Amino acid sequence: MRTLFIALLFSGVFLSVKAQSNYDATKIPESLLKDAVAVVRNEEQSFELKSIGAGKVDYKIAITILNKAGDDFAEMAEVYDKFSNIYNIKATLYDASGKKVKEYKTADIRDQSLISDYSIFEDNRLKHLKFYSTFYPYTIEYSYTQDFRGILSIPSWRAVKGYGISTEKSAYNLSKNAGINIKFLTSKGLVTDSAKVGDKTLYKWSSTNAPAIVKEPLSVGIENIIDWVKVSPNQFEYDNTTGNFDNWKNFGAWMHKLNENANTLPPATKLQVQHLIKDAKNPKEKISKLYNYLQQNTRYVSVQLGIGGFKPILAEKVAQVNYGDCKALSNYMKALLNEAGIKSNLIVIGNGMPGLNPNYASMGQANHMILAVPLANDTTFLECTSQYNPMGFIGHDNADRNVLMITEDGGRIVRTPIYNAKDNYQRRKTNVLFSEDGNATIAIKSIYANAQFEDNMQMLLIEPTEQRKRINEGNNIPASELTSFKFEQPDKALPIMNEELKFKTNQLLTKGGDKAFLTVNLTNRRESVPAKIDNRKTHFAVSFSYEDEDEIIYSLPKGYSIEFLPKDVNIASEFGSYSAKFSSKENQIVYTRVQNMTAKSFPPEKYNEYVEFNKKIVAADKLKAVLTKAE
Amino acid sequence: MKIKALLIILGISLSYCFVYAQKKEFKFGKISPEEFELKASGQDSAAAALKIFDIGNCYFEYTIGSGWVYVYERHIRYKVLNKSGYDLANYKINLYRSSNSAKEDLNNMEAATYNMVDGKMITSKIGKDAKFSEEFNKKFTIKKFTLPNVKEGSILEYKYKIKSDFIFNLRGFSFQSDIPTLYTEYNVSIPEYFVYKSNFTGYLDVKRTKHEQVNAHYLAGLTSAATLDQFVLENVPALKDEAYITTLDDYRPTIDFELQGTRFPGEAFKDFNGTWPKLIDGLSTDENFGAYITKNSTAKTLLPTILKGEKDTAIVTKLIFDYVKNNIKWNDEYSFYATSTNPKTIFEKKSGSSGDINLCLLNLLKEAKVTAYPVLISTRENGVHPGNPIISKFNNVIALVNMNNKQVLLDATDKDLPMGMIHYDNLSHQGFVTNLTTKTGNWITTEPSVATEKIYNYFLTLDKENKLNGNLSLYSKGYSALNLRNRYRTTNNEAEFLKNYKKDKTGLEIKNYKVVNLDSLDALLTESFNIAIEDNVEEAGNLVYFTPLLFERTKENMFKHEERLFPVDFAYPLKESFRITVNFPEEYEIDKLPKGGAFKIPDNRGSFIISYVSEGKSLLVKSVIEINKSFYTPEEYFHLKELFKAIVQKQAEQIVFKKKA
Repeated sequence: MRTLFIALLFSGVFLSVKAQSNYDATKIPESLLKDAVAVVRNEEQSFELKSIGAGKVDYKIAITILNKAGDDFAEMAEVYDKFSNIYNIKATLYDASGKKVKEYKTADIRDQSLISDYSIFEDNRLKHLKFYSTFYPYTIEYSYTQDFRGILSIPSWRAVKGYGISTEKSAYNLSKNAGINIKFLTSKGLVTDSAKVGDKTLYKWSSTNAPAIVKEPLSVGIENIIDWVKVSPNQFEYDNTTGNFDNWKNFGAWMHKLNENANTLPPATKLQVQHLIKDAKNPKEKISKLYNYLQQNTRYVSVQLGIGGFKPILAEKVAQVNYGDCKALSNYMKALLNEAGIKSNLIVIGNGMPGLNPNYASMGQANHMILAVPLANDTTFLECTSQYNPMGFIGHDNADRNVLMITEDGGRIVRTPIYNAKDNYQRRKTNVLFSEDGNATIAIKSIYANAQFEDNMQMLLIEPTEQRKRINEGNNIPASELTSFKFEQPDKALPIMNEELKFKTNQLLTKGGDKAFLTVNLTNRRESVPAKIDNRKTHFAVSFSYEDEDEIIYSLPKGYSIEFLPKDVNIASEFGSYSAKFSSKENQIVYTRVQNMTAKSFPPEKYNEYVEFNKKIVAADKLKAVLTKAE
Repeated sequence: MKIKALLIILGISLSYCFVYAQKKEFKFGKISPEEFELKASGQDSAAAALKIFDIGNCYFEYTIGSGWVYVYERHIRYKVLNKSGYDLANYKINLYRSSNSAKEDLNNMEAATYNMVDGKMITSKIGKDAKFSEEFNKKFTIKKFTLPNVKEGSILEYKYKIKSDFIFNLRGFSFQSDIPTLYTEYNVSIPEYFVYKSNFTGYLDVKRTKHEQVNAHYLAGLTSAATLDQFVLENVPALKDEAYITTLDDYRPTIDFELQGTRFPGEAFKDFNGTWPKLIDGLSTDENFGAYITKNSTAKTLLPTILKGEKDTAIVTKLIFDYVKNNIKWNDEYSFYATSTNPKTIFEKKSGSSGDINLCLLNLLKEAKVTAYPVLISTRENGVHPGNPIISKFNNVIALVNMNNKQVLLDATDKDLPMGMIHYDNLSHQGFVTNLTTKTGNWITTEPSVATEKIYNYFLTLDKENKLNGNLSLYSKGYSALNLRNRYRTTNNEAEFLKNYKKDKTGLEIKNYKVVNLDSLDALLTESFNIAIEDNVEEAGNLVYFTPLLFERTKENMFKHEERLFPVDFAYPLKESFRITVNFPEEYEIDKLPKGGAFKIPDNRGSFIISYVSEGKSLLVKSVIEINKSFYTPEEYFHLKELFKAIVQKQAEQIVFKKKA
């Protein structure tokens, strides 16, 4: 249908047709109302690339807000910085029938700074307008022009703005002057129309009647079901630098150049390095000593200004103030290693993002920098912004993805280490001792490793009063009193943490008539199942692979006998495996549970199977033993 | 009093602090070697950092031409104990400006890090490139500073001066923060020409160590008098957050000043708002308040279409209330003044702050000859109002009308608020009602007049496959209803709403969901559905058992902590009533029913009752929880904790059936 539409329009595509702005909400096709809180009635984004360092955006959008849940879309929030300015802003509010209610004035538009919460300073600013209406539906419309002086990236486009919002019509027109090279990626099946008009090359992408998307649990993203375009220049000019993004090699070469001569250390620091490594026997030990020095003496402070968003502050400066952002600290660590005679490479990485696309070099695929130290047999990756990470541990948001290694010969795509289920373990041993009156003392010892270490390491850093609070809040042993607790990281060089908790309770056995019930899995219950979805659309994955092992030994109160013990459960699936074993000897119940999960991404049609798998686990985790008291 | 006991703990530092109190010498950059030895102790022994001292000075200056400003100096020294204390090396100051001539300026900022290296103190001063100025928007600028060379054990120091044109409120001073503090001192010197009201909040007693007349020089050649007050608090433990409180600031010892009047030479004493009548008098003529309410041109044009000739006061009130609710959308901002001087602006803009909306409401009511009064409120977030006439401690306004001889509060910021209910944030227990005609006012309670209750009514049949089938009816009253309406309206659609409802209810399937009275705010909000429940009734040998409270079981005690420093503030009393009837198969027999029980907090301040009845092949379980107060003292905390302990325990009990062989 869409193809036909575009084919029909093709001849007139580049004529600027005066669009009739009829925002009557009753005209919205039924298919666009399904699951929608708002509908993009029309969006037109145009970008004109005038030269490798200058461009202009003309943007206009109209959104009909269907109900209160859609109010969040009734907003203009456009970002600019000192290399661009936004002007010519127009904003209008329409009622349900499309009648103009109000035009906004310049004074209604707020201008404010926009600084990420991890940064102390950035030069981004926001033009912001919130639309308000007490009646639904209503339509908002706004437009603006933005000029860019300096281009690192070209606006991308997505036909669908988010969850719960459908799109009646959206188009992206891109024009570039002759002699400028650009490249683009599009979603599968999206048609690219291009034409040459005089000196200019024109591209057009558009999408119509895209239905609203419902947020799906564990979704890895909606890119496979919507229309989108990513565009990048091949050559660029920005804040007095020029470069070339033809491929990652060139991208890396540009980064390398930005970092050139940033590696000098002051004499005192050089001496310090020599002093630190003088007794180190091998390169690993030297890295360890220097990484420890970095962690003890520096802290993370982020300041992002212009090209400073890509270029680190000099190692010399870091040595003087002992703070910096990811680039500054990675580069400083590189300088320390260099002084120790160890070569290392900066790594451009997308923390918590999909890995870099090896065949498409562009800005916007990475947000972070770490350091790689290639040794004879393996490569050690260093997260230089953490004061706590054990050496070589980079966390699951950095793990297992394509990253760019910056070398003297340009950039090279490499892969960061992967943490498997067996690496990300949680091992827990619990002893429950009942006294005759039914009171129980519970001793729980847990070990967390790698990603699970990362999830829990915060406990090592907070005050005991806070630790106590958090344990109490996270604990679901009924009516329990925390009697002692301990957290430790036995070896600072390893991402492994021990936890010891002791509780007392008198409510472990729940009554039911003259029986006593014991939910055998006390320490690691899965209690809810993700909702079933008919006709799921997106792929899904858990955030990291892991393996949990639990063992619980119950010493039962005197005079009680076991009337019923649940049967063992074994569940195998491609998502992971689960086993629970129940056994008894004398007056003890021994329970063991092993759950092993993979973070592999699965296609949507597998999802309901995944739900079933979890349902079985929930059922197995709440199995109860029945005890009777001897008369 | 427990808090006082806690103060004694910082043993080591006590003697040290004594030295400070004796010497009173706080010189920038002059660090004694002992300061590097400081450690936290007692309950804060694992603190991330210590505040060694925090000294504030506030005094006035006069310049011919531009007039009075006040100067606010601050001098703070920290000791970083571990890496979690590194955040203190980033410092922020917010500055306000309303115009070029009315603004705050940062005059001076000295900052440095001190490290002890091999017995020698190394000073690292802040560099120019580590000072930033963020123009947040037209009104606010944020000055930011980041210190170099911060390590565990570093001492950090900041000293700065702010000059402010806004002399109505002097910047407050807090004597407690989230890290332990050894010594805090605030010196305020007020010229004889000004009279300020001071206000203390917080749970610790700040000592006034000085109150004396001193000489001051504001104009060359002229000696004036000033009153110098000094406030001191020593060895202050860290302030820690707790759940169910209004705002932590209600418990933080803080002093604020608000201008009461002026007494310039040759002029009579000018009292702005020294007393309630004076304050109300000011409000009654204020163009953003009293004069705003009486400006009647817009009301005159609007009223005929709103009222269509209606004369009955109760109906007129409702029509106007609904009109305002339906035509002006709240922008989520609180104010007790209107943001413009004419209601016309707001009716045209169709959106506004709480002040805009409720003053527009009062404006229409006035023109319609309905007697109504503005009620000043300090929201929960804003903190408890001290009670004396301090205008700047209010941040919101609602309306009070008389209907059928009952006082009814009106808050038009949310379409779903019926008459008599006010936004949750306004539930700070009291409001100050003002009569702009008689210039009088008094405190009234804002405790809800509408009870909040949630009623669950299950009627189910258990089959031999251990599935439960039947109906569920839910009734919501008061804030339960408000929350439900809000949740329903802010969810994409009903399917999504039901999906969320089912989210934490494993095994539940829903059919024929109906919600009644969603838009009739004064009628009982009712939901009903057919339900089927799997996986909740379990089997063990020949036993079949389940928890009759199903998904409504209180699984955890929300009061898990052993002790409590601050009151528990629920905002409104609440009740939860649960009732389930289960018909079970012929082949099942109830082994032995759990015992019912009643648990009460003394003086009927809260209760929990559970009962079990079976007759033939039918079972009835009832559970009622009542929290009868909106506010419990820390001493009552233990009662609440015990009540919830009983709830968790009793509601977990199982119904056990024996299958006939």
